[in-house]
Amino acid sequence: MGTPSGLKDDCEALLSRFQEMDSVRFEDFAELWRSMKFGTIFCGRMRNLEKNTFTKEALTLAWRYFLPPYTFQIRVGALYLLYGLYNMQLCQPKQKIRVALKDWDEILKFQQDLINAQHFDAAYIFRKLRLDRAFHFTAMPKLLSYRMKKKMQRAEITEEFKDPNDRVLKLITSDVLEEMMNVHDHYQRMKHVISADKSNPEKSLDLIKDDFFDNIKNIVLEHQQWHKDRKKPPLKLKVKGGEEKSERNSQQSERCERAESLAKIKSKAFSVVAQASKSRRHRQVKVDVSDSESGQVQTKTTRKRKNKETLKPAGKKVSSRDRDDMQNIHMEDKSLNLSMPVVTEEDEENESFSETEFTAPKRRRKQRTKS
Amino acid sequence: MAEDSRGDPACGGMDGRKDPVPSSGGFNFPEYEFPELNTQAFHVAAFGELWRGRLRGEEDLSLKDLPGGREVTDSGCEDAAVARDLGCSLETAAELRAVCGLDKLRCLEEGEDPEVIPENTDLVTLGVRKRLLKHREETLRIDRACRQETFAYEMESHAVGKKPENSADMIEEGELILSHREHKPYQTMLVLGSQKLTELRDSICCVSDLQIGGEFSNTPDQAPENISKDLYKSAFFYFEGTFYNDKRYPECRDLSRTIIEWSESHDRGYGKFQTAKMEDFTFNDLYIKVGFPYLYCHQGDCEHVVVITDIRLVHHDDCLDKTLYPLIIKKHWLWTRKCFVCKMFTARWVTNNDSFAPQDPCFFCDVCFRMLHYDAEGNKLGEFLAYPYVDPGTFN
Repeated sequence: MGTPSGLKDDCEALLSRFQEMDSVRFEDFAELWRSMKFGTIFCGRMRNLEKNTFTKEALTLAWRYFLPPYTFQIRVGALYLLYGLYNMQLCQPKQKIRVALKDWDEILKFQQDLINAQHFDAAYIFRKLRLDRAFHFTAMPKLLSYRMKKKMQRAEITEEFKDPNDRVLKLITSDVLEEMMNVHDHYQRMKHVISADKSNPEKSLDLIKDDFFDNIKNIVLEHQQWHKDRKKPPLKLKVKGGEEKSERNSQQSERCERAESLAKIKSKAFSVVAQASKSRRHRQVKVDVSDSESGQVQTKTTRKRKNKETLKPAGKKVSSRDRDDMQNIHMEDKSLNLSMPVVTEEDEENESFSETEFTAPKRRRKQRTKS
Repeated sequence: MAEDSRGDPACGGMDGRKDPVPSSGGFNFPEYEFPELNTQAFHVAAFGELWRGRLRGEEDLSLKDLPGGREVTDSGCEDAAVARDLGCSLETAAELRAVCGLDKLRCLEEGEDPEVIPENTDLVTLGVRKRLLKHREETLRIDRACRQETFAYEMESHAVGKKPENSADMIEEGELILSHREHKPYQTMLVLGSQKLTELRDSICCVSDLQIGGEFSNTPDQAPENISKDLYKSAFFYFEGTFYNDKRYPECRDLSRTIIEWSESHDRGYGKFQTAKMEDFTFNDLYIKVGFPYLYCHQGDCEHVVVITDIRLVHHDDCLDKTLYPLIIKKHWLWTRKCFVCKMFTARWVTNNDSFAPQDPCFFCDVCFRMLHYDAEGNKLGEFLAYPYVDPGTFN
């Protein structure tokens, strides 16, 4: 059967709403599940054969979100979704969840992470699924029958759920920073040595900003701090060590010269928001004039509004603007910056969004297609 | 090329049990060789062991029934187990039990029919389904499962959960189930890892096995009882470079010899083929690729493409009776050809060059055949050639 129509949309709607909740608690998921009445997805007088196929497909679909490269929160959401689908299905005996050998080690690692991070509800649910014998332990994730004729449907990975690329992090690691500092110092010393006046280097050799590397270091540190602050109170998420998304700070620093001019353009463009089509009207962006607020971290609504506020219209090189915003934020009161703007890239790194802005980029994309 | 029944026991290259040559370097972790198409070759038993090694000591492999009714079990005991496994306190464990209970997932009120789609739903799937149901209501007079659907469902589920009467027939924990699909006739079978290849061979029903050779217009009552299956017993499976020949009976010949000789006569670009005896190998001994087409050949030239579509560990809900395997779970429904005269009974005879028949060839059931072609004394009337016919749909 291929994936039943509409099922992918429903699952993604549920997962993205879960993602917006910014929580990994099962209670929150269950509330969402009940509000969407997701358990009724099996209703509708399906006959036995169809029930079996539908349930199998639903479990396979949900399973995909449980594996990397999706973000931690999506994976936990997928676990809860599997739990819900498995237990609410109408097939007798229940359809099982297929686990391939190559994925099992990854799953166990995930469970260990859950326990270490004290996400007991997620770990409990996984344990329960195992005890209920909800799994089929297989060679490969799906049945293979050498279908050459059927066009291979490559499973598309929903981009919003993916962990953002940390190519930037790979670029500006602490080693690189340290090395850059050393090079910079050495360079300055060389300049001193070769210039006539031993205390001050030649003016003609002034080719770079002196505090360039200090800036970079500060930005990276600020960003890491921001991430930690952001993540700590609402979630007990395990911060993945130094591997945090210090995204795109290098680009920011490179373009900090253009920051001011672009910032003006952006803020003007901000006030204009495209009209969402009828089918997406529940996702209509509202321009909210409220100031970025102090730490009402728990209220999800404020956060949502903040996200909308930082929505970027289709444009180029927005990252510089973010640097500007970042400064603004730090000048204000230290609230868990949920209004941290998203640094979006318009080039091929387009698909990597920061964790804060899951809904915004989606809307932004919509706008782009319309304009 | 039809083989005759001369036995030919002397076959080269088949001295006792021979281990099949692995084509990969002993790497038994199933991975795609071609994405979404098939895996690389791996050893079945080793794969099973990889899984069992990871699950040893846990309850995942158990085939015993779960303690009945989770509500009945001692919650205190369960909380202790949870606390131990997750490293949390007992209070947390009790809280978890409450928070993650199944009642938190219920979306229907008491008394609401699970078959009825709720009115104000946002789910796209339900919207689609509702439209489909509405369409069915409007266009169909009687809305029920057709025969093929019932048949397919029955096939899939008829053996589910069956326990053997004799406990010796119980499948062991950790047994592997291979899902084996054959083409023409299209059928899918489940076979156990510990079963021999010959058991699978015996359970493949192909209509060519039932054919009765010979022309019997003059002697319709003497259509022999022997079907081809009894006459021509040779068969082979081809998996990963090795031909597994059925050698249980003295009449069985090595059908693969022709192919091997052909491939060795010139440099055809194929590796060295091996031969082996089908009855000496179980599925656990094989090196196979999941999803890759192999061959089953019998009757000399009746060939079927076979694909192993899946391998998994046995589960408590599977059929646990060893004697029922290989188990057919999917079969193509074939419409049987009916007699041209009465249109009611399945055809048992086919005639050629028949002066009485409106078409050539023409199919008749036994009664109509005799009534049309023979007089009351059984004398042949007219000119025709008659052959016994076995319809592929006989297996339905």
